[in-house]
Amino acid sequence: MSIPLGLSTFAADGVRKTVLDNGLVVVTRELHASPIVTTVLWYRVGSRNEEVGQTGKSHFLEHMLFKGASRFAKGEIDLLTLKNGGGNNAFTSHDFTAYYFNFASDRWKVALEIEADRMVNCTFDADEFDAEKKVVIEELKGNLDSPWGLLLQELDATAYKVHPYRNPIVGWLQDVERATAEEQQAYYRKYYHPNNAVLVITGDFDAERTLEDVARCFAGIPAGPAPPAVMLVEPEQHGEKRVLVRWRSKVPRIAIAYHAPEIAHGDSYPLHILGAILAEGKASRLYQRLVERDQNVTFVTAEYGESKDPTLFHIRAEGRGRHTAEEIEAGIHDELRRVVEEGVTPAELMRAKHQIEAHFILSRERTLDQALLFGQIETLYGLDYIDTYLRRISEVTEDDVSRVCARYCREDNRTVGWLLPDKSAEIVEEDITSEEDSGESAPFPEGGVQ
Amino acid sequence: MKSAGSSIGRSFDVHNHVLDNGLRTLLVENQAIPAISINASVLAGARQEPEEQAGLAIMVSRLLDEGTVSRSSLEIAEAIESVGGSIESDGSFERIVLSCTILKQDLDLGLELVSDILLHPAFPPDYVTKEKARTLAEIASAKDRPQVVAGWTFNELVYGRHPLHRPVQGYPDTVERIGRDDLLGFHHTFFTPGNTLLSVVGDFRVSDLLPKIERYFGRWAQKPVPVAAIPRPHRQTERRRKFVAMPAQQVNIYLGHLGIERANPDYYALQVLDTILGGGAGFTARIPQRLRDEMGLAYTMFASITSTAGLDPGRFVAYIGTSPENMQLATEGLLNEIRRVIDEPVTAQELQDAKDYLTGSFVFAFESSAQIARFLVHAEVYGLGFDYIEKYPQYIEGISIDEVSRVAKKYLDSENYTMAVAGPVDRNGRPTHNGR
Repeated sequence: MSIPLGLSTFAADGVRKTVLDNGLVVVTRELHASPIVTTVLWYRVGSRNEEVGQTGKSHFLEHMLFKGASRFAKGEIDLLTLKNGGGNNAFTSHDFTAYYFNFASDRWKVALEIEADRMVNCTFDADEFDAEKKVVIEELKGNLDSPWGLLLQELDATAYKVHPYRNPIVGWLQDVERATAEEQQAYYRKYYHPNNAVLVITGDFDAERTLEDVARCFAGIPAGPAPPAVMLVEPEQHGEKRVLVRWRSKVPRIAIAYHAPEIAHGDSYPLHILGAILAEGKASRLYQRLVERDQNVTFVTAEYGESKDPTLFHIRAEGRGRHTAEEIEAGIHDELRRVVEEGVTPAELMRAKHQIEAHFILSRERTLDQALLFGQIETLYGLDYIDTYLRRISEVTEDDVSRVCARYCREDNRTVGWLLPDKSAEIVEEDITSEEDSGESAPFPEGGVQ
Repeated sequence: MKSAGSSIGRSFDVHNHVLDNGLRTLLVENQAIPAISINASVLAGARQEPEEQAGLAIMVSRLLDEGTVSRSSLEIAEAIESVGGSIESDGSFERIVLSCTILKQDLDLGLELVSDILLHPAFPPDYVTKEKARTLAEIASAKDRPQVVAGWTFNELVYGRHPLHRPVQGYPDTVERIGRDDLLGFHHTFFTPGNTLLSVVGDFRVSDLLPKIERYFGRWAQKPVPVAAIPRPHRQTERRRKFVAMPAQQVNIYLGHLGIERANPDYYALQVLDTILGGGAGFTARIPQRLRDEMGLAYTMFASITSTAGLDPGRFVAYIGTSPENMQLATEGLLNEIRRVIDEPVTAQELQDAKDYLTGSFVFAFESSAQIARFLVHAEVYGLGFDYIEKYPQYIEGISIDEVSRVAKKYLDSENYTMAVAGPVDRNGRPTHNGR
């Protein structure tokens, strides 16, 4: 299968990787289409590094990095972002924690100074920690008010019995509630070092001069001890596992998780293709089967996500009408059986390859998109993955797709989660149509509140 | 041709060309990636549909690519997906937008499909039945989220009989009533070249593209479109409240009232106000700084009057999702900040920071072809002009402290507001223990 346009060089062209003496990896790519510079600092720590009883530490730490360091006090990072007309945010995953800034290219270097400061100088004021704990708990509760958030949390916790991917990234409520500033600071000291970080800079800058600026800000930070390796390996599953979540909704939701290999594993490429053939677009198999033919779901997705350690291939669908979770699940199993027994067609394979290739280009238009791609790949595996990814996708055969489907999407390797109505589901429906209240006995006085 | 953009440090030329049949095309060459974004915006949406057919416009948009006179749904999907492209169709109160993203070598295919879908949708009867069932299921699913329920409840109370009181998807009983003839009728009435904007942004040459557009859209027959008489909604003069009981972890609170139209000249002063009160970067604005950073009441909150401004007045909304025991503190906190920005002038520093933020971050709205295509439509629909990019910094720089005070007093109200709450509360607004 040929690749249109020579795309394999498109993404990685002009990407430069430099390693400072203290171990900080710096990835730069100049892009001069817009006068914007994006910086993303990645730490190789996420929920996979968290021990029993310590879940949520990586994510809580992400919040604390905005709460004050030696040069930039609480609130100053956001204030500088505001004054400079930029944007900032941060996110935590199973495998990494990342912080980004978007600035116009004439004022972006403040990002380097902020990141260098908070890499090692965060203060962990006890009052700030306690205040932020309330915010994190609200975030956690918000996730639990999402039916999919809850179902996937329970599904993953059931699918893994050993590996920390079983824990929610935000942590279990009980762990977060009892967390202390001291523990949090110790976690920070363990994982936040230049030699455990990747700095990605994309956009409208000069790489030579920028590397000098990076050295000026970061070279003085000493390397830290290497963080402990994650030793836990998920044992093989020996039979289907099932989990039932009761919730207030009348809409049945179903999610299936199959244990699957890590990023860059030989089988990962056919699994990407399998995901596209099953559920990418309206011509895909599960769409045609469940949405078009059986008409028992509103949507269906199939996704192989890249992870540092062996991951899960997820299929999810949301039921509709009076159709049952049994019916929907049977349809999914049947389509997977067909892929194994009857194979996929050359046209399906070609379509999936073109979708993956085009997605690779179309979703990398902004400097932030590119910085996220480079940082994620360097953190999970190494930049050379990008150079080979599209070639490896193009080499996948029809037999490869059937083979990985047979190997991973089988009964003994799956965990099935259903989210079904609880007793309150009927009551909710009534209350939505309730009359407007009189306001008479409401706890808010008419004269307003102070 | 109009050049736009030096204030954002890059410029692009907008080629503004009207076909003989009245179709306005807005074309921008952008070679950043080897791809092209084609967007057809039909200037009709849910605001034009009758109350008893609420949900009609969205259903039209969703059925567009489910079959044309000469292509089945699956043929359309296979054609676009086999080249790695995508076609999406979506509707709102103001517009139905058909967007197609493709690699540059597939431009002809993209134009051909967009033209066919736009001009000759078949609304096949079996797909109409399917789409109705799917929409009903989606409405049921959306009602599972307290934030959605609170938002819908808020709109019902704020807009009265104006079309924006409805969920854009409609109601179960109105969706049930929609027939294929209604869909064909909506298409026949509103899908005309004079009522459509075609914006194309990406890796092409205008000289190559124009003849192609002529080929695929030139024979689309022009006809007049009836002008809808949509009554103006009125801002409330009393307090309205509604509490919807749902078992959940958090209460979701929407507090506010009717807002402004996009064409309102005070839009820019209100953008500055929004930045100071509830927007801006990170948690710098007053509401997140006080309610999140100092009081730890919530993870998510915002306040804005400009973000929903459109052809119709939008909403001034302050939102917070918090634990039920915090409900009163949170509500008081929101009202206090609204009251304070009405009663007291903002500081010179707040004003300057907000201006620097708005003018400095403007560039981020023009990074991708899809963003530029969206801007072109907004510029046309709201009469901003393509020199808007030049003028925007001046609009913002001209705002004074007094201006902010004036618009706060004129457009915000801390007494006569709507409050809609969904979550573990009883009908009188008392927090209950959550159901889980």
